[in-house]
Amino acid sequence: MEVSKIEVITSMNKLSGLKRALSKLGVTGMTVIQAIGCGVQKGTYEYVTEQNEEMELLPKQYIMVVVENEIVDKVVDVIKKELYTGHIGDGKIFISPISGIVRVRTGEEGMEALK
Amino acid sequence: MDKKLGLPSAIATGVGLIVATSCLMSLGQGASILGTGFIITMILACLINILTALSLAELNALMPNLTGGLAQYTLAGMGPFVTILTMVGGYLVCQAIAGTVECAMFGNAINSVFDTGVPSWVFSVAMVAILIFANLMGVDIFAKIQNVVAYVLIGSLIVMGVIGTIGLGSGDIVEQPMNLAGSVTDTFGLLGLAFFLFIGCEFVIPIAKNIKNERRNVPLGMVLSLVIILIMQILLVVGMSRYTPYEELGADPSPHIFYGTALLGKFGSYWMILVSALAVVSTVNSAMSSFSFMCAGMAKINLLPSFFLKKNKRGAFYVGILVIGLIEIVVNAIGLSTSDSLIFMINVAIVFWMVSYVISNINVVIFRKKLPKAPRTFKVPFGPVLPIIAAIGTAFMIWNISDNPADRIKIFIIDGVIFVVLGIYSVIWCKVRVKRPLFKAIPIHEVMAMENDAYLAAHKKADK
Repeated sequence: MEVSKIEVITSMNKLSGLKRALSKLGVTGMTVIQAIGCGVQKGTYEYVTEQNEEMELLPKQYIMVVVENEIVDKVVDVIKKELYTGHIGDGKIFISPISGIVRVRTGEEGMEALK
Repeated sequence: MDKKLGLPSAIATGVGLIVATSCLMSLGQGASILGTGFIITMILACLINILTALSLAELNALMPNLTGGLAQYTLAGMGPFVTILTMVGGYLVCQAIAGTVECAMFGNAINSVFDTGVPSWVFSVAMVAILIFANLMGVDIFAKIQNVVAYVLIGSLIVMGVIGTIGLGSGDIVEQPMNLAGSVTDTFGLLGLAFFLFIGCEFVIPIAKNIKNERRNVPLGMVLSLVIILIMQILLVVGMSRYTPYEELGADPSPHIFYGTALLGKFGSYWMILVSALAVVSTVNSAMSSFSFMCAGMAKINLLPSFFLKKNKRGAFYVGILVIGLIEIVVNAIGLSTSDSLIFMINVAIVFWMVSYVISNINVVIFRKKLPKAPRTFKVPFGPVLPIIAAIGTAFMIWNISDNPADRIKIFIIDGVIFVVLGIYSVIWCKVRVKRPLFKAIPIHEVMAMENDAYLAAHKKADK
């Protein structure tokens, strides 16, 4: 199947702009989960001098979209530009292949289930 | 925050911020020396500034919403020494001189219409004193009408330019050649003067976050502002070459009022003085306030002493206000009313401004190399070509800062001495306070972190 999953972990803002931009690109759905977590900085605030020894989990959001492979680059580019602030905590994007999709209501499978 | 400003507001703000009445002095000088040949010089200067505006838009896209602006870009691009030398010292010195010239224009404007018998500097100093008081009280007396005043000034100048160009003025048309430029080299000689007509587009960047579709409208707004100003000034040059004798135009310290009088008699002079006096007060007022904010922004990132961060009870950064206010008062009080000395001061000041633009263009190229994949909501097209052309073009304008070789050398000597002093300050400050290698760039994320009010406090605590 020619579909990929794009997962984004980012700070708790910029969602509305991202939603608008993805809608414009024709992305047909997205899932957002409020989460807590940290990255390589272990949750250290950007302005302090010493890094936390123990991980501190900060409020984040987890965003998941599934899109056709041919628009993956475009979608990732839009996400990067929408989330970019230059500050620590802008987030990470993970891209992985999808092996199957099923729409529960109709039983449709594969690309049909995505449209 | 809701993004409310559309492209027209971005253009209007840009135009309002770039035009200052002291620009009209340069315009009068340029027109008196080259006639309509000065238009070629203006087009060249405008094109180079458009390229720089695009570079600044890219830097803003890479490091959005920074208060210190050019200084922070340079800190991340070239390290603390160059930043302090060119952006902190140079840029602030330049702002101080440009603000002082603008003040002098106020006194000159009053005396050119009303024969008061009182020296021009008295009016300038009185105005600065009132503005210092207002700023210290935290009162922005022009907050509501600042843009209106700027638009009325520009609208008036466009109308005046059109009237002069099509020959509808009530004054007499002067018999003199339109073009005085004999060769291309003549037009290059005044590039430095023409540059002053188009500086300041970086002031649009702080309002970028309030502009709708920032990616498109910020660069487009800056470029269109510059083009509108160019058109306005072309009309004025044509009008001036028809209605004002070049010799008198060049010698007049308030060429816009002189032109207004030549064009429409007493009515023209009253119109211009009313509009320009309001515009001068408004410009000096906002420059005073933004100078204090700029100093505070730079103190926040540890490039200036922290006393610039001190606020009075009314919330004003009073040290910055007093510093710029006192400079303006002292320089005006020691005599600054002739057009020659004002133009000389403008030329001394804008070399710093030009250097900061050259450095900004180089910063774009550095970041392209350092962070080729960082998302940029705006990117100057054609790779590094345009920023490089802009840097070379601006350096060429520095070289052509004056058409008089003796003046040019004098300007370079004065600027050189100021740069040496700033260089010494820069080395000492880097060693004692910044405690970083002079030429090692600070990572972007750290420069962005410095925006946080808690950064300086946290780092001071760690130093102890």
